[in-house]
Amino acid sequence: MLSVKGLKANVGDKEILKGLDLEIGRGEVHAIMGPNGSGKSTLAHVLSGREGYTVTGGSVTFEGQDLLDLEPEARAHLGLFLAFQYPVELPGVNNTYFLKAALNAIRKARGEPELDAVSFLRLMKEKLKVLHLDDSLLKRPVNFGFSGGEKKRNEIFQMAILEPKLAILDETDSGLDIDALRIVADGVNALRSPERSVILVTHYQRLLDYIQPDYVHVLAKGQIIRSGGKELALELEDKGYGWLGAEEAA
Amino acid sequence: MKATPGNGFAPWLPDDGPAAATGLAWFDSRRAKARAQVRDQGIPTTKHEAWRYTSLTRLLEQGFTPTAEATTPLQPRDLEPLLVPGLDAYRVVLVNGRFIPGLSDLQHLPAGVRVGGLAQILKSDPDALKDRLNGVVGESQPLFAALNTAGLDDGVVVLLERGAQLERPIELIHLSVGMDEPRVAQPRHIVVLEAGAQASLIERYVSLGEALYCTNSVLELSLGRDAVLKHQRIQTESANAFHIAGLYLSLGAGSRYQCVTVGLGAAWARTDLNVRFAGEHAECDLQGLYLAGDRQLMDFHLDVDHRLPQCSSRENFKGILYGKGRAVFDGRVYVAKDAQRTDAAMSNRNLLLSEGAEVDTKPQLEINADDVKCSHGTTVGQIEPEQLFYLRSRGLSAPLARRMLCLGFAGEILDCLTPDALRDQVAEQVGSRLELAPID
Amino acid sequence: MSASTAVEAIVESEYEHGFITEIESDTFLPGLDEGVVRAISARKGEPEFLLEYRLRAFRHWQTLATPRWAHVHYPEIDYQAISYFSAPKSQDGPKSLDEIDPALRETYNKLGIPIEEQMALSGIAVDAVFDSVSVATTFRTKLAEAGVIFCAISEAVHDYPDLIKQHLGSVVPHTDNFYAALNAAVFSDGTFVYVPKGVRCPMELSTYFRINARNTGQFERTLIVAEAGSHVSYLEGCTAPMRDENQLHAAVVELIAMDDAEIKYSTVQNWYPGDAQGRGGIYNFVTKRGDCRGARSKISWTQVETGSAITWKYPSCLLRGDDSVGEFYSVAVTKGRQQADTGTKMIHLGRNTRSTIVSKGISAGEGQQTYRGLVRIAAKAQGARNHTQCDSLLIGDRCAANTFPYIEVKNPSAQMEHEATTSKISDDQLFYCRSRGLTTEDSVSMIVNGFCKQVFNQLPMEFAVEAQKLLSISLEGAVG
Repeated sequence: MLSVKGLKANVGDKEILKGLDLEIGRGEVHAIMGPNGSGKSTLAHVLSGREGYTVTGGSVTFEGQDLLDLEPEARAHLGLFLAFQYPVELPGVNNTYFLKAALNAIRKARGEPELDAVSFLRLMKEKLKVLHLDDSLLKRPVNFGFSGGEKKRNEIFQMAILEPKLAILDETDSGLDIDALRIVADGVNALRSPERSVILVTHYQRLLDYIQPDYVHVLAKGQIIRSGGKELALELEDKGYGWLGAEEAA
Repeated sequence: MKATPGNGFAPWLPDDGPAAATGLAWFDSRRAKARAQVRDQGIPTTKHEAWRYTSLTRLLEQGFTPTAEATTPLQPRDLEPLLVPGLDAYRVVLVNGRFIPGLSDLQHLPAGVRVGGLAQILKSDPDALKDRLNGVVGESQPLFAALNTAGLDDGVVVLLERGAQLERPIELIHLSVGMDEPRVAQPRHIVVLEAGAQASLIERYVSLGEALYCTNSVLELSLGRDAVLKHQRIQTESANAFHIAGLYLSLGAGSRYQCVTVGLGAAWARTDLNVRFAGEHAECDLQGLYLAGDRQLMDFHLDVDHRLPQCSSRENFKGILYGKGRAVFDGRVYVAKDAQRTDAAMSNRNLLLSEGAEVDTKPQLEINADDVKCSHGTTVGQIEPEQLFYLRSRGLSAPLARRMLCLGFAGEILDCLTPDALRDQVAEQVGSRLELAPID
Repeated sequence: MSASTAVEAIVESEYEHGFITEIESDTFLPGLDEGVVRAISARKGEPEFLLEYRLRAFRHWQTLATPRWAHVHYPEIDYQAISYFSAPKSQDGPKSLDEIDPALRETYNKLGIPIEEQMALSGIAVDAVFDSVSVATTFRTKLAEAGVIFCAISEAVHDYPDLIKQHLGSVVPHTDNFYAALNAAVFSDGTFVYVPKGVRCPMELSTYFRINARNTGQFERTLIVAEAGSHVSYLEGCTAPMRDENQLHAAVVELIAMDDAEIKYSTVQNWYPGDAQGRGGIYNFVTKRGDCRGARSKISWTQVETGSAITWKYPSCLLRGDDSVGEFYSVAVTKGRQQADTGTKMIHLGRNTRSTIVSKGISAGEGQQTYRGLVRIAAKAQGARNHTQCDSLLIGDRCAANTFPYIEVKNPSAQMEHEATTSKISDDQLFYCRSRGLTTEDSVSMIVNGFCKQVFNQLPMEFAVEAQKLLSISLEGAVG
């Protein structure tokens, strides 16, 4: 489904990703771990098409298409979803309105009929129920005045509505207390399906206590230096990144 | 010329006969030009935007004429009651606008630092001032700057060479004493910090007795690259005084300027702060506090010109109005086209405490670039009843509680004053004014 | 693509409503003197008091100079080159829509405001002004049953001369300013609304204005009187065809609210803004003022200003009655070479008067925008409250946004708060929306609509939809 080959990317003049390889199959959950500054968030941003990163080498194909040539919205249309580490506030933009517009843009791009207001409302209610979320969320402006936990839950809610084929969760666990973490993790688990792949970008093992990955990769100095099963995460927890020669970057 | 309102400001200027010529061609021609500007501008009325809320009638009615005496019978011990206890500073004293070396204390100035009287330097080393005098004010001078140029008699010059640093502050005392007739003094100060220089300047405007007089001072300041200046202005003049001050600032790349200005005295006070950024990454922080009671007028005008990118400015002014006190705040932040990444925040907050008090405030933004962070906020209000109740429920009398809350309001600005000796004295002056204020 | 470049890449779109209707007009030759004022009055068969009023205003106007203080620039207007009267040929006045000139109706259809549909669908009474004379008034009967008078002011002059004599010029005197004086001298037509004591107007009142004939100034006069305990909501929407010469528009709107009365006045203004080089476009110099004369009265202004080459407009409230309320909600968009100097005045005279100001300015391209506002709390206005919020959104690096508030407080129990911010659409916001699948254009439109939400919420539903659409259309051609 996603194939990253020899990906190199710069921020300004500085090379952050230095030839990264990653293969993700349908329905798989991959965790990408690594010390601060290893390039985890850069990977998430490059995949979703954020500005400010220059790809200098390698390729990324998603569902057989060259992802790197696409605008961010086109990637979303293909089924890519990034849950932001710092979700952006949109004052005055109603959450429901925003999501309906986004969903219909995606449906339209796929040649599917747009949802009318009633069907959309039904869909939202259904998803809220699955995620055990409160419907007050729908009436508020997107992320505006939300607590850290609310913002992360809103990201998961958006993911539930937009039903991506591949979801990238960028440090979704950061800044969450244990209860909030559990709610977010339950949400992600509820959305797991044989059709949906997930990339968990995280610094800590603790998220993986709640979301069991199929594969764990260690990213250091811009490359995947080790891949394995979920037991790799436990090993990292015990021994730290130093054990792999991946010292915390300055 | 006879001093009547009909003559406008002409009586403020000395005679311009041949005897008045100094022999310095550039100086005489600048004065003549300024005199023409005064004449051409006429008397601004409240139809002029800069004078919308401040009428000049009361000022003109006083019939001020220039001071003549260049000397004073005052002795150093006469100054003692006017000093800040425990303030360790180089001291420059002007009496009625004239630099008095005998009252000043400029011993042990380090190398690379020059402090002296403007009149004296004009005689001994005029070339040092040729590019400096009006260098920041510029060609098109507002009325009171033009008056000052045309009528200037003395002032203080402070020059710090590249990298020079002063450990102790320079204290500039403007002392005014009563004269036979209502007199106007028009000192001009020139302060230059070359690249990397650092200094602290404390200007204090004080009077002996309840004298009636006018001071129209102009200060031109330029900071070179990465220079740092802390500038504090404390105005506690006589209740009959008229105070006009124009500050003209040019801030070089990477320089940092902080001004803390406190207006407590004078019957009628107008302060204009003109800031121009002359290099990128400069920072300007203007903090102000004013109290106006009785029939006092406190008028502050700020004009901050972000003509270059990546500079930041803060303007934070707070006022307490009581009795029949009036305040005017007119703050303008201008961001030129292409002055991207400008960061400017202006705030003006006022406590209006009694019937008859008034505040007119006009915070303005003119933005011609898009990648900027600019804001302003203004409030006019009273002491919060819940806060008052809280203090009273802890046993404080209502007047004391009010005073305490007012001091708390002023505290944000007072706490910017350094050293503590100066802060403590000004806080005490604010406190005692509030004690007399009918704010119940 | 960054926010600014992305936004700038959005294509220029031609003014949607630009076309000229071919219709026979009965138009005065250009020029203005006492004879023209008399001729206007005579043509309308006005009573003596009105002719006298016009002449007083004209004589006063001759003593005035054009105001210069606004932050706008335009070539000197030659008031002698303007024609001061223009009326469609059919002078008898149509009795029904069928009688309306087909070319005129086609105009409305092109504008997307088919009158019949409007009436049938939304129950709005439509008083359409084509050039200077009212040509269609509907729903009269229903309103008449409620006792509400809603008619052209030229008719009101004949049918209700006492009301006109009593109220005309009582809020905006002919001496108020240059354009108000001009309007008082030559006003062509406009709308009169009278809501009697205790009556709640049974429907939203709406008028569509349209400027058409070449070189014709348009000088509407609107007067709305709400007697004690009454309530009325009035909607005004405008659009104008594309043309070369600048057109002057100097309207006067007067609102009077007695005890417990409420007037809600909403405007969507989309006059021709001129072409990309700034040629053509309407000069919109309007004087709008509401008088909260009675205790507990309320006047609320809401405006969405996307059109005109120059807008000079300060809908204001005189809060004279105790506990009266004034509101001003504004969205103004300037793009291309448009200039707007707009805002409000809230004059607090009565006790416990309250006012709210929310101004949202959007500046794109080389648009110049100024918020100018006055909040005056008089010495006797015990317990007055004001809250003001002025936000500017800048799109592109060649536009300008100014904020010039004037705040004058003379009462020690007053509470006044003013906040102003300036921002741009951030790259982060844009990327966030796009990563959820929205196009750049939709993202911008969504963010801008969010920025304006507080104001749109004040509009009646059908107007809010129109306003949002207008804003999106307006920003499509925003930058280049």
